[in-house]
Amino acid sequence: MDNNNKVTSNVIEAEVPMGTVHSAAIEPYRVRLFVEDEIVRDAEVTIGVNHRGVERIMEGLPVEKANSLTEKICGICSNIHIWNSVLVAEKGLEIDVPPRAEYIRIIMGELERLHSHMLYLAHGSEVLGHETFAMRLFYIRETVMELLRMIGGNRVQYGVPIIGGIRPRADLDEMKIQKIKEGVDHIEEKILEFADRFIRDPMVMSRVTGVAALSKKDALRLSATGPTLRSTGVAVDIREDMKQYDPFEFDVITQDDGDVKSNLLMRVLEIPESIKIIRQAIKDIPDGKITNRSWEMQDTGIIRNYVEAARGKLYHSYRLEDGRVRNSIIRTPSITNINAMEHACIGTHITDAQLAIVQCDPCFTCTDRAVQIVDHPLKKNNRII
Amino acid sequence: MNLSLKSYSRARAVHVMLVYTGGCNGCDIEIVNCIFSPKYDAEQYKVFLTWNPREADVLVVTGPVTKHVEKPLKAIYEAIPEPKAVVAAGACATMGGVYKNIHGDIPSEEIAGPVHEIIPVDAKIPGCAVRPEDVLSGVVSALPLLLNAK
Repeated sequence: MDNNNKVTSNVIEAEVPMGTVHSAAIEPYRVRLFVEDEIVRDAEVTIGVNHRGVERIMEGLPVEKANSLTEKICGICSNIHIWNSVLVAEKGLEIDVPPRAEYIRIIMGELERLHSHMLYLAHGSEVLGHETFAMRLFYIRETVMELLRMIGGNRVQYGVPIIGGIRPRADLDEMKIQKIKEGVDHIEEKILEFADRFIRDPMVMSRVTGVAALSKKDALRLSATGPTLRSTGVAVDIREDMKQYDPFEFDVITQDDGDVKSNLLMRVLEIPESIKIIRQAIKDIPDGKITNRSWEMQDTGIIRNYVEAARGKLYHSYRLEDGRVRNSIIRTPSITNINAMEHACIGTHITDAQLAIVQCDPCFTCTDRAVQIVDHPLKKNNRII
Repeated sequence: MNLSLKSYSRARAVHVMLVYTGGCNGCDIEIVNCIFSPKYDAEQYKVFLTWNPREADVLVVTGPVTKHVEKPLKAIYEAIPEPKAVVAAGACATMGGVYKNIHGDIPSEEIAGPVHEIIPVDAKIPGCAVRPEDVLSGVVSALPLLLNAK
């Protein structure tokens, strides 16, 4: 555990490569585990297979078209990508969004967080070898998917935010609000039952407790983000700083240990918080129009914006020129969590290495983009931008 | 010919292998969902998800096939024993999707092309992302190839 990232002279000869297409890893990525006596001494995660060059495709597209393209970056957190991309344009063009549209965007964002966290729990249970838990969670998740289909019209990639508001088809009426209310009640009841069952299972708990622990210091040093960072005890959540979330009361959940158990419980405990936000949003949803059409296109400098996706900090930036997108940069949360994944593998038994990677909630399909590593002018260690 | 899922799959357990070739995860999760989730639950019809090409019967390909994954995809296709069927799932797999087509006729540097340009495809499932109902009917439509082969 103590030989982290230090260059040592002893060469580890036994290497277990996995991937790029491997039965244990669902997404295509390559893992090299350097083992000594079945204990992982070093790990290397390589991505790049999924590179589609989304930013390059975005170059020169009209901004509306580019926004809907950003949604296709990720099939799990599609809403947060288009929301952030739209926020960038709104920030640059100084567009006011009607409050009703803000509330509906937040309802979509939180529903998406629910389905992403449940997918994480299901994936984690499957890697643990507990397929029954995975199936149960997929069943609970269906309720969220039906709500997303009802609001957005599609189970994945609902395309709700547009510049200045939301799409008219995603407006909520009384019937939809009632269905959301019933849906989140059902999810909360079921997920708490699941959590109770999960914690009381001694087999599962012994499998996850203390495995692949990441310390607070390492998590900060490796720029881990989102629930992976919060599970080590650092209360950082960009939702607290976002002005869209100002009207809502919610707690930032943290766990202490940074192991697989903390990570799983982290997601379980974030689900009721998201439900709390959805309940507040549907209770005081304001009336009024949902789209502000009175804005004019103009050229801007580079506009940057951060939001909190289900996996952590998401960054979008571009500048506008004749209504077209230039110099787009997208930075997804998993890119820095890869460091945490590699580090969490070190010191675990080889059978737990996959679990150590999955505990950081990898989403490699959205992470696959060209990365430039620059020297930070003020700090000595290199950071990924 | 009776094409109901039950009558065919009871004759033989069908193993489905899923390959990601650079899609966005949306189709992939919907496919895993329609096999695992108790709501759709293809496993009750003896349709199983596998990640081993040597025990697979149906290869379900998602994504627009990036250039990096072109060779592995061919190798996986070769490794599947006969009889086999290939299903291309989602808009990217059937015609390249936004990544190939959004910039018009300009050739893409990353995308090697839709699945049918790399390996022969027997069934195509449209949608972005595919709906689980469509996945089930798409896999069923490829089953006669497996069952009628001698």
